[in-house]
Amino acid sequence: MENKTNTLEKLSKIAGEIMNPALQDWQSRGGKIIGYFCPFIPEEIIIAGGFLPYKIRGIGSDDTSEADEYFDTKNCSFVRHCFNHALLGKFDFLSAMIVGTGCDHTRRIFDNWQIAPLKTKLVYLLDHPRTMGTEGMEDTIINYYRAQLAKMKEYLENNFGVEITVPKLRSAIKLCNETRLLQKKLYELRKVENPPITAAEVASVLMAGASMPKEEYNEDLKMMLKQVQHDKDRVQRDYRARLMIIGPAIEDPVFYSLFEENGGEIVIDDTCFGARYSMKSLIDETAEDPLHAIAKYNVLDVPFCPKINGSHKNRIEFIEEMIKEYNVDGIIGQGYVACDPWGSSFGLLSAHLKNAGIPYLRLEREYISTETGQLSTRIQAFIETIGKSIW
Amino acid sequence: MNMENNIDILKQLKTEFNGLSADSYQGKLQDYVKSGTPIVACTDDFFPELFEAMDLPFYFVVRQGLESAFHAGRGAEAVDGYDEFNGASTLCSLQKASAYLLVKDLLPKPSAIVMTSTSCDAQTAVNELMSNYKPWADVPRISVDASFEKDEASMEYLGKQWIQIIPFLEKATGHKFDLARFKEVCEESNKQTQMLFDFQELRMAVPSPIRAEWGFIAYMGCRWSACGKPEGTAWMQRLYDATAQRVKEKKGIDGVTEKIRYTWFDILPCWSDKLFPRLEQEYGAVNLMDLYGYCAPWPSIDTSSLESIFTSLAKRFLIGNPMTRQIFALSSVYGGDAVNIAKNFKCDAVIMPGHVGHKDGAASHKIVKDMFREIGIPFFVVGCDVFDERYMDPDIVFQKISAFFETSGLT
Ligand code: SF4
Ligand code: SF4
Repeated sequence: MENKTNTLEKLSKIAGEIMNPALQDWQSRGGKIIGYFCPFIPEEIIIAGGFLPYKIRGIGSDDTSEADEYFDTKNCSFVRHCFNHALLGKFDFLSAMIVGTGCDHTRRIFDNWQIAPLKTKLVYLLDHPRTMGTEGMEDTIINYYRAQLAKMKEYLENNFGVEITVPKLRSAIKLCNETRLLQKKLYELRKVENPPITAAEVASVLMAGASMPKEEYNEDLKMMLKQVQHDKDRVQRDYRARLMIIGPAIEDPVFYSLFEENGGEIVIDDTCFGARYSMKSLIDETAEDPLHAIAKYNVLDVPFCPKINGSHKNRIEFIEEMIKEYNVDGIIGQGYVACDPWGSSFGLLSAHLKNAGIPYLRLEREYISTETGQLSTRIQAFIETIGKSIW
Repeated sequence: MNMENNIDILKQLKTEFNGLSADSYQGKLQDYVKSGTPIVACTDDFFPELFEAMDLPFYFVVRQGLESAFHAGRGAEAVDGYDEFNGASTLCSLQKASAYLLVKDLLPKPSAIVMTSTSCDAQTAVNELMSNYKPWADVPRISVDASFEKDEASMEYLGKQWIQIIPFLEKATGHKFDLARFKEVCEESNKQTQMLFDFQELRMAVPSPIRAEWGFIAYMGCRWSACGKPEGTAWMQRLYDATAQRVKEKKGIDGVTEKIRYTWFDILPCWSDKLFPRLEQEYGAVNLMDLYGYCAPWPSIDTSSLESIFTSLAKRFLIGNPMTRQIFALSSVYGGDAVNIAKNFKCDAVIMPGHVGHKDGAASHKIVKDMFREIGIPFFVVGCDVFDERYMDPDIVFQKISAFFETSGLT
């Protein structure tokens, strides 16, 4: 029990702070840390270079005044909070930053990073495909993305004097696959009627995985899973509805507590850095060309982000699968104001769910929840409508 | 040619332009629907040369949003209609309007859909709507990935995918592709784009010989309505000649004493008539350019082979096409174009509308502002919606620009 609490606490603490002891330890041993902004940027290549991949986030930010000189209020608050942190020097520990050509907002982090007075000068833009292609044309897209990944690899090699070899890539893929499998087990804990771990804890554990050395993380996760599974002392909650949440990454634990307080149990998700990366396939560890395997995984295998043309069908399939597997009573679509990719995908999603008779609630909010009262009222009303009575 | 005649010529050219539009594939959509002729629906930015060569009626979905919603006085209805659909609240209102037309069955059902992942998140949103709209579920579709990179490999990547559109369209529509005809159309298109450049050079004259809207009209004529058609080239030639005559006579815009030269660096607003004439009358302020009127260096189409045609079309697309060029690129390209226009057109000021749909532009304001600070040209971001005037009343836009002119010492 004590160990379990310690491991979970350790991971939650890592998720809740920008700098953490695992990073400090890594750095004290001369290790370099590379920041990245989107799950399209393959951690595997960064790890194969001997670096620690670190997912940029805005956790702890309560202001965007520094970033507002660079980004407008028409831009997504997630991006603005993250960039504000960068301007305040919170990411000065990064040796380089990799941005993807994702949405119209994140893409501009690259441009603004270059002109801002930041300590981390190296910044790279990875061009990743925006369509899943048409039958018969997928190879062209995968090969193009592979070429882009090779360029990113060269960028790291040339700037840091390292060699990213095929065996190194294979072992990085293996390591990240292990993380995926462990995270899948973590989600499985949420399947049962009384999940021994909360949604906020799951989110923290996932976030920690993108903020510390993978080997250490995998060991911690294994230990934590063992302990949690056998823990009979976990608080049993009376909840009224099992929910699936969809949208961009949720990094604010306050947001999860709004559901728990109102009798909602978020049992599964389709969020960036969430379930979609662990519930589906793995990257081929034995592939002759590991870069090609990474490209294929990202172009075809993971149910995609809404910025990708053709992704909606995959998303719906994934959601339907999860609804069944996790016995979901209702869906929450949560996104940030100004986010056109998620916002528009929610229009399609709501039409689909309506036809399928699945209860759905759409929440549009800012990255840092300031309007919690209003959100809570809407969540409560939704759960009351769909939830089972606890009396 | 005297001046009066010249004014008449411009009027006549506008009438002719309307005729070209009415005769275009998009202008005759209803006839095709009635006769059951196959139609292709396609995202904006695709090159019409291929459709012209295959004699294949097509429409740009976004252009439908512009013309069948905003220009038809139904913009507000369409935007509000989209909002009922529960989509993205801050989506570009043009795309909202296109989406509304789609889900209200106001777009002709096509025989094929051609999509390229392009300029903005809003375009992706509409692509996804088209891909998942149930009544269109049986329509064959092809989705092509455009790279963000602009190197040779990226051009080939896009060109290679686009070539696949030929067999796809042949199968879906029954129309045949003929390389010789395609080359002919591309050669005509090359002439037209060269004329767009030459016209742009003329428009740099002081005083400005012709309103900025003519840049957009020329673009629509040569790219949207009569791309690759000799009648489009002839019309463009007449527009060029009429403008050249005005430059020769040093004639500025009729009825305006030009005092402030500025560029409106985005799409011309659908409510232009409530803003630009007022600025002209009140301040002698003349708008010289907008994004669609701006002809960046479009490479000409190399017609030596099918592959070379598609690679050069990809080049045009990625580094020439308005909006794709500026939005689907680094901020330095976006700002660089604004600076080039400001310098070449001898602008006294630059106005960035800050269109609410342009999230990438909103994230580039500092970069662009700094570029203008460096060259000492006053720069101002308004923050309006270029399509839906309800977002910011044109009168407020006018007041804001007036204040900008005054504080910049331009009045
Ligand atoms: S939340 Fe939306 S707008 Fe913000 S970074 Fe993610 S996809 Fe882009
Ligand atoms: S006007 Fe801009 S935001 Fe709107 S559709 Fe065109 S490129 Fe996209």
